[in-house]
Amino acid sequence: MNSFLIVVFLYAVAGTAIALYARKIGIRDDVDYYIAGRNVSGAISALTYAATTYSAFMMIGLVGLSYASGVGAYGFELFYLVGTLMLLTYYAPKIWNMSKELDVVSPAELLGKRFGSATAISVATISLIALIPYTSIQLIGVSLVIEKLSGIGFNAGIAISALLIALWAFIGGLRGVAWTDALQGVIMISASLVALLYVFSMNPDFASEIPKLGDLLVVPNKIWTPSRFISLTVPWFFFALTNPQVFQRIFIPKNERALKRMVVYFGAFGLTYTIIVTLIGLMLRVMSQSGGFPAINDRDLVTPTLLSMMPEWMALFVGLSILAAAITTANSIILSLSSMVSRDLFKNPLAGRMAIIILTLAVAVFASSRPAYIVELAVMSSTLLLSTLPLVVAIVHTRFERGFEALITAFIVGVVLSYLKYPFTGLAVLAIGFSVIMLTNMPKRR
Amino acid sequence: MRVIEPLLIILAMIFPFVGIKSHDLSTYIYWTAVVSLYLAYTTYKRWEIE
Repeated sequence: MNSFLIVVFLYAVAGTAIALYARKIGIRDDVDYYIAGRNVSGAISALTYAATTYSAFMMIGLVGLSYASGVGAYGFELFYLVGTLMLLTYYAPKIWNMSKELDVVSPAELLGKRFGSATAISVATISLIALIPYTSIQLIGVSLVIEKLSGIGFNAGIAISALLIALWAFIGGLRGVAWTDALQGVIMISASLVALLYVFSMNPDFASEIPKLGDLLVVPNKIWTPSRFISLTVPWFFFALTNPQVFQRIFIPKNERALKRMVVYFGAFGLTYTIIVTLIGLMLRVMSQSGGFPAINDRDLVTPTLLSMMPEWMALFVGLSILAAAITTANSIILSLSSMVSRDLFKNPLAGRMAIIILTLAVAVFASSRPAYIVELAVMSSTLLLSTLPLVVAIVHTRFERGFEALITAFIVGVVLSYLKYPFTGLAVLAIGFSVIMLTNMPKRR
Repeated sequence: MRVIEPLLIILAMIFPFVGIKSHDLSTYIYWTAVVSLYLAYTTYKRWEIE
């Protein structure tokens, strides 16, 4: 067995042991299984929030994006972070209270309490449609890394990833996922720091050579035009309220203090991780100008190229962190979707448990077929999930009771405009969604 | 959430699009400072649940 497979095996054993231990705490019902009995500490809540949010995109996608497009990539990621902090500081306490008072487990269930079961079913279905391609992308990315580092085939990498995703979620529910996420969050940030120090050691004169990047150091530039920045930023800005896997994490802190800690610690993790990852991309770009690193056209190959230059132990550690980032995101999505299957679609706990396996298989099959349109579908996911935002805002600010029409209209507009590649689809989805929810809830005149 | 708070943060975040044109790490450092300050403010401000 080669070195990376040994590392993956040890990682699998450690994660399974944690999930089994989490199960021993006791799982009596859906509240225990899907939201850990609403009894998670602030630090663990923050780490699982961070590990769920930050996927393999960070160490592969964002390193490459910073390398290819410069400082605009940093601004794009920080807009997401600022949006999340802003939304969580205001909405999280209210949503946390509501979830407790209404005794809800899934995000769709919370919306269904106000807008009815048809809306809950629609939110669950939209989440399934939007998130299966997004989760498949995680598996594809990590399987390419496993393939490169271990030499085993792509489909074997898919099988290993899928097994870990389903196993930990199935055994330990959210408590198991949260604890394994916490460990993996530490691995993710430690490995990124090691990678940054390694890249810095290759070119300690980075700061004095940075002006070589020219227009890549300012915004707007040829790549980061204002319209591109807006079209990419809007869907991610509202991520905290539209993506069920993170929205559901608002339900889990054990008290108000833990909730605040979750948000603040997550912010600190997010800022640190974003700084590290984007600096790696910028440093490599500077080195590529002086021949210290190859000039690469395909930005997704920047991190794999870096891994091939590192000492073996370091490449294994960073490779493991990319695997961890993908697994933590994917199993949190699968668990959140299964909670909606259990609570909103079939109202049957057994269906929810079965959904973990079936959804993981669906994601694995989708990933192994690698359809050409999968990237477009994954990019669409956040835009399509924006259709739920007017409903989330309405349950906090209004007494509106009709949300189904707004949800469906905004979703259809999102699908059509995404297909047509309209650059401001996110803004259009929000405009339509908010307009329809206002119109359908206006008091009728006699 | 008072409207002024998100408005100020967003304006601060988009400032480099109009106000920073130097070919060094100014934009990077500026964005880092804005987000760090906002995170510190989030940490120390009194939440309505406290």
